[in-house]
Amino acid sequence: MITPYFVIIPLAAAFLIPLVSKRKTGPAVLLSLASTFALVVLSGYAFFGRSGETLVYRMSGWKLPVGINLVQDAFSSFMLVMVSLIALTSLVFSPRYIDRLGGDAKYYSLFMVLVAGMNGVVVTGDLFNLFVFMEIAILAALALVAYGGRAHEFEAAFKYAVMASVSASLILIGIAVAYSATSSLGLATISRGLERQSPILVLWVGGLFMAGFGLKTAAMPFHAWLPDAHSSAPAPISAMLSGVLIKALGVYVLIRFFYNVLGAPPLFLQIFLVLGAVSIILGVLLAIGQWDIKRLLAYHSISQIGYILLAMGLDTTLGMIGAVYHMLNHAVFKSLLFYNAGALETALGTRDLREMGNVSKLLPVTSGTSLIASLSISGVPPFNGFFSKLVIIIAAVQAGQPLFAFVAVVGSLLTLASFLKVQKFGLRGGRPVERLIGEVDGGMKTAMILLAALCLVTSLLIVPGIRETTIDPVVKVIMEKTGHAQIVLEK
Amino acid sequence: MDSPLVLVIAAPLAVALLNLFLPIALRKAMTVIGIILGGVLVRGFFGAPPPSVALFGTTALSLDDLSFFSLAFIHIIGLIIFLFCLKGLDPGTERTFLVLYPLTLACANGTVLSSHGVGFLVFWGLSGLALYGFALLGQGESASATAKKTFILVGGSDVFLIMGLALAAMSSGWSLFDARIPLAGPAEALAFVFLLIAAFAKAGGFPLHTWVPDFSRDAPVESAAFLPASLDKLLGIYLLARMMGGYFEVGLFTRMIVVTLGALTVIVAVMMAMVQHNGRRLLGYHAVSQVGYMIMGVASGHALAFAGGLFHLLNNVLYKSNLFLALGSAEKRAGSHDLDELGGLAKAMPATFAMALVGALSISGLPPFNGFFSKWMIYQGLLEQAGGLAPAYAVWLLVCLIMAVFGSALTLASFMKFLHAVFLGRRPERFEGLREAPANQWLATGLLALLCVVFGLFAQAVPLRLFVFPAAREAGFEAFTYPGFYRPNLILTLFVIGFLAGLAVYLLTAKTRRDGAYIGGHVPSEAFRVTGTDFYKEITEMRPLATLYRQAENKAFDVYDLGSKATFGLSHLLQRAHAGQLQVYVLFILFGVLLFMILAG
Repeated sequence: MITPYFVIIPLAAAFLIPLVSKRKTGPAVLLSLASTFALVVLSGYAFFGRSGETLVYRMSGWKLPVGINLVQDAFSSFMLVMVSLIALTSLVFSPRYIDRLGGDAKYYSLFMVLVAGMNGVVVTGDLFNLFVFMEIAILAALALVAYGGRAHEFEAAFKYAVMASVSASLILIGIAVAYSATSSLGLATISRGLERQSPILVLWVGGLFMAGFGLKTAAMPFHAWLPDAHSSAPAPISAMLSGVLIKALGVYVLIRFFYNVLGAPPLFLQIFLVLGAVSIILGVLLAIGQWDIKRLLAYHSISQIGYILLAMGLDTTLGMIGAVYHMLNHAVFKSLLFYNAGALETALGTRDLREMGNVSKLLPVTSGTSLIASLSISGVPPFNGFFSKLVIIIAAVQAGQPLFAFVAVVGSLLTLASFLKVQKFGLRGGRPVERLIGEVDGGMKTAMILLAALCLVTSLLIVPGIRETTIDPVVKVIMEKTGHAQIVLEK
Repeated sequence: MDSPLVLVIAAPLAVALLNLFLPIALRKAMTVIGIILGGVLVRGFFGAPPPSVALFGTTALSLDDLSFFSLAFIHIIGLIIFLFCLKGLDPGTERTFLVLYPLTLACANGTVLSSHGVGFLVFWGLSGLALYGFALLGQGESASATAKKTFILVGGSDVFLIMGLALAAMSSGWSLFDARIPLAGPAEALAFVFLLIAAFAKAGGFPLHTWVPDFSRDAPVESAAFLPASLDKLLGIYLLARMMGGYFEVGLFTRMIVVTLGALTVIVAVMMAMVQHNGRRLLGYHAVSQVGYMIMGVASGHALAFAGGLFHLLNNVLYKSNLFLALGSAEKRAGSHDLDELGGLAKAMPATFAMALVGALSISGLPPFNGFFSKWMIYQGLLEQAGGLAPAYAVWLLVCLIMAVFGSALTLASFMKFLHAVFLGRRPERFEGLREAPANQWLATGLLALLCVVFGLFAQAVPLRLFVFPAAREAGFEAFTYPGFYRPNLILTLFVIGFLAGLAVYLLTAKTRRDGAYIGGHVPSEAFRVTGTDFYKEITEMRPLATLYRQAENKAFDVYDLGSKATFGLSHLLQRAHAGQLQVYVLFILFGVLLFMILAG
């Protein structure tokens, strides 16, 4: 059984790192790279090799509802692939960047705890374990946001902590209500139990979870913590937070809970649609006015998450394909954009777009990959963002929601405008930059080139033959709705 | 996968990829080979369309007479403009230019060959991306702003295209050919509007045209001739022709609205063109203005006007790229495209001047050149259309027609200014010793000029018979047998007789004296040179126009600027609510939770 290793490997690495590296960070880098690489291989094997199956691992000899289990199906494997890939590139990007911040081995330790937390959330089949893993990930994230050690970073971390505890309380209350009604904490058994409960109770549990995990997802109006936290963190951590954390802790749990546990109640799908639409438009409007490149990117995360929520709310297979596909694409291009921002900050010493200039000659890799990422997020062919937005817009039209499709269209137009602003001021402006204050090293370049290539490669997932073996199994698990609980219980 | 249709797209694409790595001379050779290979393939399609290509169980690529029409001219114009590019490209951006050029051709070919909506979307978007690539090559202060504006308008309209095609697909599936969607419900009407937005943004129709003049000024001049003057017209009008001829069942009122937009395009752009001081911007505005005629012709729903609109598309592609390239030749020698600084280049560059003269006369619609022929077809078609309409519609159509005719007169006026400012007038001293443009350049403009003449004199026999009429028939406009009352041979004969008579009068009564300029005894210095840019300064000071021009200068009518002002206004408003106060943020959450609780009952 491979499932527990997704938690064991990063957790073990996190505890080993302080032991093997006292002063030098070299061993820490190697160890963390090795363990994330192992995770990439494992998750790749799980996703491509055992895609159709649902693996259930019992942590003890007991079956549900008594024991606690880990559940790994195509959807979890998909998330694991995504998390591991982004974590790997993030670690490749990190060493020089973190050295510059006066970094030490603790960074890598915290990083691996973050990965362990996310992986735990994704593979667990138990609601309370999910809560615990979520808190582990959030604690690591808090420390990492404050890692730079400057005043505004502490402030951002503090705000993040307050918001995170608000969301944790909401979720905990939700868990308490669910537990009191069903006397169980396994997701599959809760699904069974809630079917027999009054609809009002389901609504309350759903409402609490929607707010709690909505906060983690940073959907409007629960978004306010995100711009501060994501823009204050070191660039590779911003990439992890924006690229995968809000999806593993937010979107993934929302889909899992509302589709596979509650069976996609129409009221909540409506809420997804509205939250999505509001997030798309307000997020992008807030983003386009920003001059701090990382804040701009952070607001775009809200807007892009809006697309995923909107597609989730359509309750059609095509819509879910769009949501899952966009989730992956967003992870790829948003992480890349944060790396670009990090590289620019390293090279120019500023995050203010107005103080940047034309760096296309001095930083060819950064400006080239940033163009690719900008075009991807703006939905320009042949990059991945185009295809997922295409699917989402078509799905919305076909689901009889042309108004929401139009929102997606307008959001996409404004996204394009705002990223052309980034290109114009940040990388291809009129004033050529004379001299760089820092060097963009090989690791940063490798990470950026890897993700830029992925921006093109993931476009291929739209091709029917490839889609059938990648996205379709994931969507199948989700669209089984509560039938999934049955499968888990029978194992 | 081995169909020749795939090859037409794949060959230039392969050249573009290869060109990433080759040295410059080989890049040029490969591009020429690629275009010629494509041309040979397309020649083979004439009269014998190849089988459609299926992909994933649907028809992906296929060729009908309308796509053949565009495909053929993409290759012709691509080859001629590349002849111009063989020598004299800006060395700083040459390498990228030679990658983008074949890439653009591949995308354009793909666009007109795609019969499935999704393929069309991809290629359409890619060609917009190529346009952005060319815009990024521009140099000068405003180049980066122009690149941004261009791509926001052109790339931004692509999402509307997605939505439009998705809406249309609901009622008729994804095939672009012959869907015949009635504009009955709101969904279909919306689809029509969205597709129209995309076509207008690409072709440069009012009010989405504002990127064209900026792009023309800042991007490399070859790309201005290649994209906004040629390929983007071919693609934009291709989409419009599909929409108006078979994809939708368009009613009279909708047609009239589109015709009106066309007439507005003509007049608004030509008014702006008149007062430009920059040669490239002037040509850019004319590139917009000419689209107006095509829109009017294609949208009117009259067979003759439809064919006229398509024919005008070809003619515009020829003379507009000719003019851009001729100006480019002059600019590369003289080092400026500012009309205030140019002048008197005719003597130094006689060949270039002669070609530009043909282009200018063609665009101004002087018989016997091609521009007149197509405008004549459009006018006659619209007049016949008006004859069969209810009085109110007839008056409406006639007003549009008068605007178009008036626009044509202003075009002539504007090109008098252009020719004077660039080629005639007194030559500034710094242009002493200027040489003629390289042979490849005037050969390219010469070929275009030659085609302008051929298309004017032998319109019936060559372009109309071979390309335009089959395309119009494909779009369902069959009901005509003659292209109007106009006979170019007759006009040419009359012109020749008139010219000979004039010459005779001149020779018989010749008593002329040649003298230097006399300026009240002053030495004729640079300060006294008449540049020609202020020929029409009066109209900018006329009563109602003065305010309009002033506001246009402040970009009060530019959709792009209006849009960005609105967006940033909203953004600032929203930012006020995000001042970084934790209490406010917690209130947001509370609000959200309460909302859920209320919804959950």
